[in-house]
Amino acid sequence: MRTLLRDRLGWSVSFLLILLVLLPLAAVMIQVLLPGVFFGHLKLGDWKLLLELFHRPLWQKSLENSLLLGFGTTIFATMLGTVLASVRASWSFPTAKLLDASVWLLFITPSFILAQGWVLFSAGEGIAAGLFGWGFVKDFIFQPIGLIFMMTLSKFPFAYLSVQAALEWKMDQLSYAARLCGASRWTMWRTIQAPLLLPAIVAGASLVFMDTIGDFGLPASIAAVYRFPTLPYSIYSAIYTSPIRFDMAGVLSFYLVLLIGLAMLVQFYALRRSRFDFLTGSATRSVPRPAGKLRYALAALNIGFLFIVIGIPIGSNVVISLLKTQGGGFKLSNLTFDHYVMLFSSVGNLMEGLWNSLLIAGSAALFGLIIGIGVAFVLTYSNFRYKRGIEMISILSLAVPGVVLGIGYIFIWNQKWLEPLGLLLYGTPWILVLAAIAGAIPVITRLLTGAMAKVPANLLAAAQLQGDGLGRRMRYILFPLVQSALVSAGLAAFGAGIFDLAVNTILFPPKFETLPVTINKAFEDLDFGYASAATIASSLIVIALIWIAERLLRRKEAKL
Amino acid sequence: MSSFIKNKVNVLMIAAVTLLVSACGNGNANTGSNVSGNPAASAAATAQTSASPEPTMETKDEGVLTVYLNDFDGIIAPLFEEATGYKVELVVGNGAEIMSRVEAEKGNPHWDVLWMDAMPSIHGLGEAGQLMENWAPDNIGNLTDFAKGFVPDNNWYVPTGAHAAGVIVYNTDKVKAEDAPRTWADFSDAKYSKMAGMADPAVAAPAYPFVSWFFGDKGMEGGQALFQGWMDNGLKVYPKNPNVVSALTSGEISIAALQESNAYAMKNKNEPIEIIWPEEGAPASVRVAAIQKDTKNPNAAKAFITFLLDPATQQALIDDGDESYFQPSVQGVNVKPDRAQNAKLVAAEASWASEHEAAIKQWFADQAVK
Repeated sequence: MRTLLRDRLGWSVSFLLILLVLLPLAAVMIQVLLPGVFFGHLKLGDWKLLLELFHRPLWQKSLENSLLLGFGTTIFATMLGTVLASVRASWSFPTAKLLDASVWLLFITPSFILAQGWVLFSAGEGIAAGLFGWGFVKDFIFQPIGLIFMMTLSKFPFAYLSVQAALEWKMDQLSYAARLCGASRWTMWRTIQAPLLLPAIVAGASLVFMDTIGDFGLPASIAAVYRFPTLPYSIYSAIYTSPIRFDMAGVLSFYLVLLIGLAMLVQFYALRRSRFDFLTGSATRSVPRPAGKLRYALAALNIGFLFIVIGIPIGSNVVISLLKTQGGGFKLSNLTFDHYVMLFSSVGNLMEGLWNSLLIAGSAALFGLIIGIGVAFVLTYSNFRYKRGIEMISILSLAVPGVVLGIGYIFIWNQKWLEPLGLLLYGTPWILVLAAIAGAIPVITRLLTGAMAKVPANLLAAAQLQGDGLGRRMRYILFPLVQSALVSAGLAAFGAGIFDLAVNTILFPPKFETLPVTINKAFEDLDFGYASAATIASSLIVIALIWIAERLLRRKEAKL
Repeated sequence: MSSFIKNKVNVLMIAAVTLLVSACGNGNANTGSNVSGNPAASAAATAQTSASPEPTMETKDEGVLTVYLNDFDGIIAPLFEEATGYKVELVVGNGAEIMSRVEAEKGNPHWDVLWMDAMPSIHGLGEAGQLMENWAPDNIGNLTDFAKGFVPDNNWYVPTGAHAAGVIVYNTDKVKAEDAPRTWADFSDAKYSKMAGMADPAVAAPAYPFVSWFFGDKGMEGGQALFQGWMDNGLKVYPKNPNVVSALTSGEISIAALQESNAYAMKNKNEPIEIIWPEEGAPASVRVAAIQKDTKNPNAAKAFITFLLDPATQQALIDDGDESYFQPSVQGVNVKPDRAQNAKLVAAEASWASEHEAAIKQWFADQAVK
C-alpha cells in the first residue's frame, strides 16, 4: 500500500498516457484479433494476417522503404543536427539567430507542406528544371538517396534542438583540465564534450527515427511523382480504402510499434553506458565565443545552407502562392496577390479555422506540458517500477500515424454508454484537444527528459533537506535549470499541433473548421495557389505568435 | 521524496485531469439539444411520407440532420434550409475519409444521410444492413432511364447524378491531336511508353468505379490483362485525381485517365490539355444518397433525399456547384454547356463492383509496386 502511495505520480501519468495514447492504439490493433469488438459482435479475426507482411508485395515494399528511409535519415539528420548545434553553441557569428528561427520553422511546418515544396521544386518541369534548367535535380531527388537527403533536411531539427538544449550548460572545468593536460580541441570534444552530449544525441536520433518512420506527409506528397510506399502510407491505404480494413491497419501499426520498440531498446542500451547528470555547482551557462576571422565564412555557409533547407521547400510554396496558373511560368504577367486577398476577403473560413486550431493547439500545449512535466519527472527522478513502459508509451504517438490514433479515438470515445456520463466526446471539439495532447506528449517529454537528465537529483535532495516542498524545489531549482526546455517544449507542441492534418481530418465535428482541414480541402480542390497562400499566411501568424511568446518568456528567464 | 510532497504533486495532476475532463463534459453538454427545423413549413417533408411504409410523421426528429458528403458542401446547406426549413450540418471529406468515418462509427453512427460518388461502397453498406430500406421519395419517378438502372431493389439509395471517373486527357504541348489516344486500349501502346497516368483505385473515390467497369466488362482476367498492359507500358499511378492534374501540369505525364470535373477545371484554367470522350464510353462514378438505418432524424433525412431529386436542386448544383460537370439523374436539367455532347457514360453493376472491390483493389495495389 505504501509503495502504491509513493508511486502515485507514476500511476497518475501512466493512467493518462494509457488513456490518451495506448488505448486508442490498442483499439486499432485489437481489430486484428477481434474485428467488430467495438460494434457489439465478437468474432475471432484471422491472426495469419500478421504474416501477410512477408507475402504481400505492397507491404513488403512498404517495410523495406520505411526501414531504408528511417535508418538513412537518422544517420544523416543526427550528424547534421549535432554538428550545427555544436557550431552554433561554440561561436557567435552574424545570421546565427536566423539558423535558430529556421530550425523552428522547419520543426513546426508539417512535412506534407515541406515535401510539397520539394516536389514543386524538383518535379519534371518544376522550378529547378523550368527556371534554372537543372534537369539533374529530378533524377537525384526521386530515388531513395534523394528522398533520404530531402528527409534529412526536414528532420534534422529534432537532433539540433535536442543537442542545443544539452549544450545550454557547459562544464568548463573538465575542458580546462583537459587543456592543461595538453589535449587538442578535437581530443577535448571527442573525450569530454561528445560523451556528455551522448544522451542528447541519442535522444535526438531516436526522435528523428521515429518521426521519419511514422511520417505520412512525405510519401503522400512524393507519390504524386514517384511511387515510394511506406508503412504509414499503406496504413493510410488500408484505413481509407473501401472496404475499410481496420484489421490491416492494425497489423501494419503493430509492425510500426515493433520498430519503435527496437529503436528504444537501442536507445536504452546507449544511455545505460553513459552518465545522465552532469550539472553541478560549477557548471556555467554556455555563451558562444566570437568566431573571429571565421565569422564571415560561417555566416556565408549558414546563409547557403538556409537557402537550401528553407528556400527550396518554403520558397516553392511562396512562388506557387503568387502564380495565377502553375503552367503559366514565372512571368510578371502571371504573378498575383489574389490568393492572399482571398484569404481575408472570402467567407472567413480560414480565420475561423485558424482561430479554432490556435485554441486546440494552445490547450494541447498547456495540458501536454503539465502531463509532460509529470512524465519527465517520473522518468528522471523516481524509482517507479514501470517507468520504461511510461517512456515507451510517451513516444508512441510520434510514430503511429495520426489516422490510426484518430480511428482509435472514434472507437474509444464513441461508445453509446458514454453518452449519459457526458463523455461521448466524439463529435465535439474536445476530442481534437485530447488527440492534440497525445500528439504533443512525445515532443514535450523528450525535450523535458533531455533537459532534466542533466540536473542531478542531489540538487533537489539538498533543497529538500532544507525543508523545501516539491513545489518550491520545482519552482526555484528545476524549472530555472530547464526553463529553456520548458519554453521550447510548449512552443514546439503548440506549433506542431496547429497543422496536424491527419487527426483533424478524421475527428473534426460538424460545423467546426480547423486550419489543416481547410488547407487540405483547398489542395484537394486543385486550389494550389490558395492552399499555398493559406499555408504561408497562417505559418507567418503562428511564427509571430511563437516569437512573441518566446521573447516574453526568455526575457523573464534573463531576470532570474 | 516524502509522501506529503508526493500528495501535492498528485493533487496537481488530478486537478489537471479533472479540469480536462470537466471541460470535455461541458463541451459535450449541448450536443443534440439543438432541435431545429420547421417540419410544418416543409411541403417536401409532408409529401415524401406518402411512399413510406411507416407513418413517419408520428416520429419526431431528435436533433439536427447530419449529412456526410464529399462535394457540394459550399452550396447545399443554404439551398436545403431555404427549400425545406430543416437545418442541416455537414461533414465533408474526400470519399475515403468519409467511408472510413462511417465504418469507424458503425457502433454509434453520427450521420443521418450519406451522399457521395462511391456507389459500390455505399451498396456494401446496404448489404451490411446499415441503410434504411424500402423507402423511396415520391419524386423518384423523375429519374432518367440511365439513372433508374442504378436504383437497387430495396431502395437503399437513390442516384443523384453521374460523372466520368475517367476521360482521356492529353497535353497538347507534348502530344499532337492526330497522335492522341482515342480508346482505353491505346494506353498500352508503345508510343505512350511512360507517358500515361491515372489515380489509385485504393485511394481516390472515383478511381475504383473507373477500374471496376473494365473488370466487370472484360471479366477479372480480362481486366487484369488490360491494366497489366498499361503498367508494363510504364503507367504512373498517383494517389488522387488532383495529383494526376499536377503531373500533367508539370509535364511528368502527357496522357491520363482523369475524372471529368478535374479535366474541365484544367481546361478552364487554360492549361494546355484536351479532353477525349472515348466511343466505348467513359466509366462512370455514380453519386448516390442513402439514409442511415437508425437515423434519429428520419423526416429531415427523407426531405433531403426528396430535395436532391428535385430538378431545381440538380440545376443549382450544375450552375453553382464545385463538381459541376456531371450528368443529372432527373429529367429537365441542363448539363454544363461546355461539357461534351457525345459524353457516353458506362458503369459496372453496383453489387458486382461491391463484391469484387477488395480483390480488385488488392491486385491493383500489389501490381503497381512491382
